[in-house]
Amino acid sequence: MATAQATGPPLASDSLLYDRSARTRWRIGFDKWIGRLLPLLFLVALFPIIDLMYFVTVRAAPILSIGNLTNTSPYANLNGNAVGLALIGTFYVMAISTALAVLLGLFGGIATAEFLSERSAGWIRMTANMLAGTPSVVVGYFGYFAFVVYFGWGYSMIAGALTLAFFMTPYTFRTVDLAYTSIPRPIREAALGSGAKPYQYILKIGTPIAFPQVLTGVFLAMAIGIGETAPIVLTTHTSLLVPQSIYSGVTFLTYLVYTGYNLPPGENGLAKAFQAAFLIMVIVIALNIVVRIIAARYRKRLEGLFQ
Amino acid sequence: MGNPLTTPLAAEQPVVGQKPLPAPHPPARRAGPRVAHALGVVAPWIPALVPAAIVAAIIWQLLVASGVSLWPLRGPITFGWSFFGPHWNSAQNQWGIAVFVVGSFLTAVPALFLSLFIGLGIAIASTTYLPGFVTRILDPFVDLLAGIPSVVYGIWAFLVIAPFFGTQLNPWLYDHAHFIPGFSGPPPEAIGTGLPIGIFILTIMALPITTLLIRDALRSVPKDLWESGLALGATRWETMRRVAIPHSTRGILSAGFLGFGRAFSETIALAMILGVQAAYPANFFQETATLATWMFENLDAAYGNSQWLAALSEMALVLLAVSLVVNILGRRLISSFVAYDVAGL
Repeated sequence: MATAQATGPPLASDSLLYDRSARTRWRIGFDKWIGRLLPLLFLVALFPIIDLMYFVTVRAAPILSIGNLTNTSPYANLNGNAVGLALIGTFYVMAISTALAVLLGLFGGIATAEFLSERSAGWIRMTANMLAGTPSVVVGYFGYFAFVVYFGWGYSMIAGALTLAFFMTPYTFRTVDLAYTSIPRPIREAALGSGAKPYQYILKIGTPIAFPQVLTGVFLAMAIGIGETAPIVLTTHTSLLVPQSIYSGVTFLTYLVYTGYNLPPGENGLAKAFQAAFLIMVIVIALNIVVRIIAARYRKRLEGLFQ
Repeated sequence: MGNPLTTPLAAEQPVVGQKPLPAPHPPARRAGPRVAHALGVVAPWIPALVPAAIVAAIIWQLLVASGVSLWPLRGPITFGWSFFGPHWNSAQNQWGIAVFVVGSFLTAVPALFLSLFIGLGIAIASTTYLPGFVTRILDPFVDLLAGIPSVVYGIWAFLVIAPFFGTQLNPWLYDHAHFIPGFSGPPPEAIGTGLPIGIFILTIMALPITTLLIRDALRSVPKDLWESGLALGATRWETMRRVAIPHSTRGILSAGFLGFGRAFSETIALAMILGVQAAYPANFFQETATLATWMFENLDAAYGNSQWLAALSEMALVLLAVSLVVNILGRRLISSFVAYDVAGL
């Protein structure tokens, strides 16, 4: 044990770091070991995602072919391995629902961020969060009762697309709102102070700044929508024909996964399920990566705007 | 009082020999500007109220489908209090959802606690112990977990994890943990579906939400606080335990609420691996059903049976009410926008 000297500056050996008591050694050792053990918990998150991607890819790779993706004949889609009809149906449903969700989210988000008082905007944001927290099966029930039964459209493309659009709207809404809210206040004040009308500010100043963030919202909503199963199964079911109008029945990719996952090995349904699962997974992961890249660059740009 | 520009000034003492001046601004009487102003106030509310309108439409539609009359108030709804009873039998017109409520809580609550603790560990490791370049590589993987569609989780769990649970883990637990109540009784099936794998998959699905929210809360602990903890001689763990975690209680609580909301309302993955049994599980290894999976699997069968449809719609209302309450509580605890660029949040 070092003793403090009577004169001169304190030595390093007087500090806590040189306290060799059992309790201190235990504290420091505990800190060291927990720092080595806690990162192992990352394995709990890494194992599922890596094993899942590996499994789906390995099982889908031997079956996947351009022929299967483009074949739209009813026979091949029913008894063969073709998923062409599901791809077409997914494309149409996603196109309609994305367009609707972007439209509603864009107007709603801009209105909330730019025109409402802080207090009102808080309430509106809460309702958007409520909608985002609504269970998918409940939205599916609503779509079934409203579009399939009440409007009498039956299991159709438009019923599925509207249901999905309602499910996706809060995600576009919140990101658009966030994008316009996070534009630095001085920029807004400079624009309005130099005589711009609010719409001029939104179109010429706000939108160019907020656009990347809005884009992340759109991609995110698409990633959410294309992975949804419950609303789709309850509102579109399946069809063996190329859709002719918005009232035609369609097949969605997730529907194939849900109906084929528990078939015995060798069944066509299982092969289609794996192809569909692979396609959804690739699309969703690609969208997520794009979102991350855009979001990172956007944050950097916003930081630049503050200087 | 009105607009100071348009109201006439207070009457002054008239100067003798002069006529009083007219009011400086005649009050605006034209309708145009006032209508335009009103439009400008009202118009933003129309698109802003879209989410609220959708939520209202969902609730209204489900109320209609469940045949509820709001007045006179007859307890919950069409079926009276027996709706919360344990007997669901469509042939005998019995509609009790207790089994499914119990099933929902039996899967969601353990999954929530598991994912909270694992998420807390990952968040601590990521904010405190791992160097920055490792964190920048590993964190996106956790965020990506939130984006994987639940149906893909389902097929993976059913074909990869369920065989392991059915042939290895469940028999081992059955043999070695039978002294714990709930682990004895009928032996586990080899197919592996049931409560354990349901809890496992819900843990994985709630993990990104809890991790992300806790990580964000820990990152927002002021640097001064953190450094004063270290400067007082506390180790990193002690500073985390005594300073950072108490400071981010709200974030952890909101992670709990939002993770519970996700686990409670999960449908497809559970429908694929939990089985669909309208009975209390006899022990830990049995299949059961949650509110969401039972609703999802029963809509086809209920076609044409108005009582059945009404009962299912009421289940939807119960599920909706729970998730809305949980979500509002969770969001109110965190005031900032947290990570809206991650799917599923």
